[in-house]
Amino acid sequence: MGGRSYAAHPAPLTEVGALLEARSIHPGRTAYHHLRALAHTHGIPGARVEHVLGLTGLTDVAHRRVKGFSLGMGQRLGIAAALLGDPATLILDEPVNGLDPEGVLWIRTLLKSLAAEGRTVLVSSHLMSEMALTAEHLVIIGRGRLLTDTTVTDFVRDSGAGTVKVVTPQASDLARLLTAPGVDITTDTPGTLQVRGTDAQHIGRTAAAHGIPLHELTPNAASLEEAFMDLTRDAVEYPATLAGATA
Amino acid sequence: MTTATLPYRVTPARVLRSEWHKLWTLRSTWANLIITSALTAAMGAGLGAAYDGTGEGRMDTVLFVLLGTQFAQINLGVLGILATAGEYSTGQIRATMTAVPRRLPVLWSKAAVLAATALPLTLATNLLTFPLAQSFLTGTDQSASLGDPGVLRALTGNAAGLTLLAVLALGIGALARSVPMAIGAYIGLIMILPEILAMLPYESVDDAVRYFPGKALEALTTAQPMPGTASPGTALLAMLLWTTATLAVAATVLRRRDV
Repeated sequence: MGGRSYAAHPAPLTEVGALLEARSIHPGRTAYHHLRALAHTHGIPGARVEHVLGLTGLTDVAHRRVKGFSLGMGQRLGIAAALLGDPATLILDEPVNGLDPEGVLWIRTLLKSLAAEGRTVLVSSHLMSEMALTAEHLVIIGRGRLLTDTTVTDFVRDSGAGTVKVVTPQASDLARLLTAPGVDITTDTPGTLQVRGTDAQHIGRTAAAHGIPLHELTPNAASLEEAFMDLTRDAVEYPATLAGATA
Repeated sequence: MTTATLPYRVTPARVLRSEWHKLWTLRSTWANLIITSALTAAMGAGLGAAYDGTGEGRMDTVLFVLLGTQFAQINLGVLGILATAGEYSTGQIRATMTAVPRRLPVLWSKAAVLAATALPLTLATNLLTFPLAQSFLTGTDQSASLGDPGVLRALTGNAAGLTLLAVLALGIGALARSVPMAIGAYIGLIMILPEILAMLPYESVDDAVRYFPGKALEALTTAQPMPGTASPGTALLAMLLWTTATLAVAATVLRRRDV
């Protein structure tokens, strides 16, 4: 971290805040005392402990023992501990695990605001839809090998996983004209084509050049999940991802 | 606020404060210490009240009055084991070592905090238990006062020995990383093994066993040194060495092995 090993830093909690395994807490201690004990190691004042408890919505349960915490509350406490040192970099492993819908929304907003403050927020997750909403930069690792290192938008655009819906009275003519290597055309209802592997611009031009009327031409961007599956379908047996939002 | 102007950084004193905070924010610590003290005092009073002047006549008076510290040996040992092995079984160790990635200050602080807790507690308990038990023993052959030769030394020596045993157990806990395993090793190796070895008919084994932690603690607890036991000074030194050696091994393993 910053050119030094983590252990060599005089104040490691201010360099990196990590949520690696949520249950890294003695169940017999209260949330407040858990954070207070960690804070003591760095000389972090009690006010900061109160602050991160508030930030993670734990103020009301701060003096309850962790034993009785739900998975989501444990997760929030883990995040509170990661934020304790006000670190420049955050590493969160599956932060939305166990959170209720409101908690998921909360963490999405929190991560975005932390990144907006100029921090680097590294998040690893298998929840594609969540990553699509949160992350900006994407790193995909499969079987220990780096598969992709790009932005989320580029990744989805370049994946070729998006489809274009075309409605035309001359469906079979258009389908014939569009047929090319790498282009995949399917029809579920007569007069409607789902085209994969080319873009709306190309389809529109082809249709115009041949005087084929189009009633509808709708590009559907692929979801991150589809793009991911596309990338890893053949390559990886046990896919794993790491996605990060960097300000 | 002055703390806000100080930079956040890890210092040995702060790790010590953190470990102190951790020890005292667990209910099990309070329960353990209260039970330890109460059992010693109650056993002392009970033995004193029940004593009829026969049987244990040859037993050292301090050893007799402090028989309840047998429980303290286990209790304080468990407290030490919980401080280290307990962190592994709960996962707390990951949080602890993330905050103090150099690791070793954590072990030293835990040992210091435990010693600073166990020594005053056992000393106060012993100084209370002795007069309490003696109030029942007036006129018997076990009658003695705090001023009698060796009595204060034995009461203090017992407290020091119990403290060293607790820290030794803390080291075993750091090595075993599992509470049941550490308690098993502690009771088996420290409390039972010397008793078994002492029964072997070899002189050299007998000579060695008197320097084992359990036997050395017994020697420390006697007002009048008994034949065949170590002298109080040697016994204390032996216990110091056992505890230091265990902590040193624990420190080496802590540095090398992944958490």
